[in-house]
Parts: sequence; structure tokens; C-alpha cells
Amino acid sequence: MKLDELRKIRERAEAELRLRGGPSRVKIVVGMGTSGIAAGARQTLRAILDEVARRDLRDVVVTQTGEKGLAAQEPIVEVHEPTRITIYGEVDEAFARRIVTEHVVNGRPLSERVVEVREVRDDQPAH
Amino acid sequence: MIEDLAMHLADLVENSLRAGARHVSISLSRCGDSFLIEVSDDGAGIPQPELARVVDPFYTTKRGSKVGLGLPLLAQTAEETGGSWAVEPRPEGGTRVRARLGWDHPDRPPLGDLAGTLVPLIATSPGVEFTVELSDDRGTWRLCTGEIRERIGDIPLTHPEVLCFLEEALREGMDAAGLKEDR
Repeated sequence: MKLDELRKIRERAEAELRLRGGPSRVKIVVGMGTSGIAAGARQTLRAILDEVARRDLRDVVVTQTGEKGLAAQEPIVEVHEPTRITIYGEVDEAFARRIVTEHVVNGRPLSERVVEVREVRDDQPAH
Repeated sequence: MIEDLAMHLADLVENSLRAGARHVSISLSRCGDSFLIEVSDDGAGIPQPELARVVDPFYTTKRGSKVGLGLPLLAQTAEETGGSWAVEPRPEGGTRVRARLGWDHPDRPPLGDLAGTLVPLIATSPGVEFTVELSDDRGTWRLCTGEIRERIGDIPLTHPEVLCFLEEALREGMDAAGLKEDR
């Protein structure tokens, strides 16, 4: 492993960041508790990271969290936007990619597999 | 259910993260027929009275979750392959989980996709430092997220190029440490 490669990656990434500017627009959170992992959350998380990378979505942050007591509907994916949080359940690899393309890129939340939509007030930023 | 060792490992790491760990050490070492999985953290730790119950499948501290199957399943896998397991508090705080499996035992689950499992978990846990150590009787390979963060500054670990780098590095490490599936 050549740690020096990281310096080049950093230089490129910082140059991109200067061009783009601005904070992240959307945060995607994947539930990775035991039941989530058993239900395929690893593949879900990978699919989201892959889709975000392939589409070069530099204003999207992807994180993970533990269990949320929604074991029956794992894998769970939350899309945090400034005005609302959309929670999807039973998100397999294919649906995860659709969340990225339809909801995050095209701004059209999906109507299937929605567990909950929470409105966020202005004084309670999503992230 | 949990089908491969990568899933077990992801489950142990999740336990550490849920315990509020700021540093998680993952160690996999293969020596002859013995395969040791160890995850230690500096999280909240498990109080002494509860330690005895960690492999009770009906015991969990998670609210809303009826069973905690991760550790009991790993303990069972270890015992079935002629190995052993231990969950201990670390003197400096936090918890250490160790499971020794028989590498050549027919009931040993496959390794699974270690890099593809660990890297997304590591990259999406901001504020947590990870050390991954892979070893066999010839040597040890080590990756510290601290060293990586030092070099990438404010660029997140989830940056696509950094993700690729991490996966490649981990795969190289697995080759170097003889962690290859030979069946």
C-alpha cells in the first residue's frame, strides 16, 4: 500500500471542492445494526456509496447508524434534506440505487417502501 | 442470518460503535489451523453482572429489539469449529471480544467479503478511529485510519477515490496475511 497516493487524492479532491463550494445538500443514513446487516444492509450501503461515486455526487454525505427498532423493515435508509427526512424500509440493492437516482438526483421522493416522512422546521437543520 | 465471518465482524464493530467507541481495533490472525478474530474498543463497556449474559440469545440492551443474536451466534460458531470465545472488559475501559475458530474445520463459515464489509463501515463512521491488523505466522499488516486522515485532511473517507484506496489496501493486506479462501 502506498500512503503517498493519498496525497494526490487529497490534492485532486481539494481542487474539486474549491470549484464546487457550498456545504452538503443531502445526507443518506443506512441502518447497520445486527438485523440490518443480516437483512442485507451491507449490500445496501455499498450500492449507495457506489451510486454516489459513479454519479460524482460531491454534495451528498453517506453515513451509517445502529439499530432503530425497525427490525422488521430492515434494511432502513434515511434521506435527510433541509426540510424533511424520508425513511425507507426493506431497501435492497436495486431500491437503494433508485433512491439515489430518483430521490437524491432528480428530487422526486419514491412513494413505495416509505416508513415515515418527517418534516423538519427551519430552526432544526437536518444536518 | 449471519452467514459469513465478514458479517460477524460487522456485527462486532456495530456493537463497539453503539457503545460510543472512539477507537475500534480489529484484528484477524491466522496461525496454522487457528483463526483468531478480535475486536476491542474504548466504548462504554459491559457492566460485570451483564457480562455473563452476553451470549444469552434473549438478552439485549437495545430498546425495541427483542433479541441480540450477534454474540451468541459467534460464540456458537467458535465452539462448533473446535475453538473458543471470550468477552472481557479492558482494564483501560471498553470491551474486548475474541473468538478463535478452527480454520480448516468444515463448519467454519466462509470469510465473505471482508474489504467490502469493513470499508463502508469504517468510512461512514466519522469521529471514530479504526485500526485493522491482519496477520499470519509470517508477519503483520496494519492499517490505521488516523494515518490516512492525516494525509487526506478534510477530505472525507467516503470520497470515492479514498474508498477505492481503502478497499484496495485491505485486499492487499489480506493477500499479504494469507487470508485467502482456499475452498
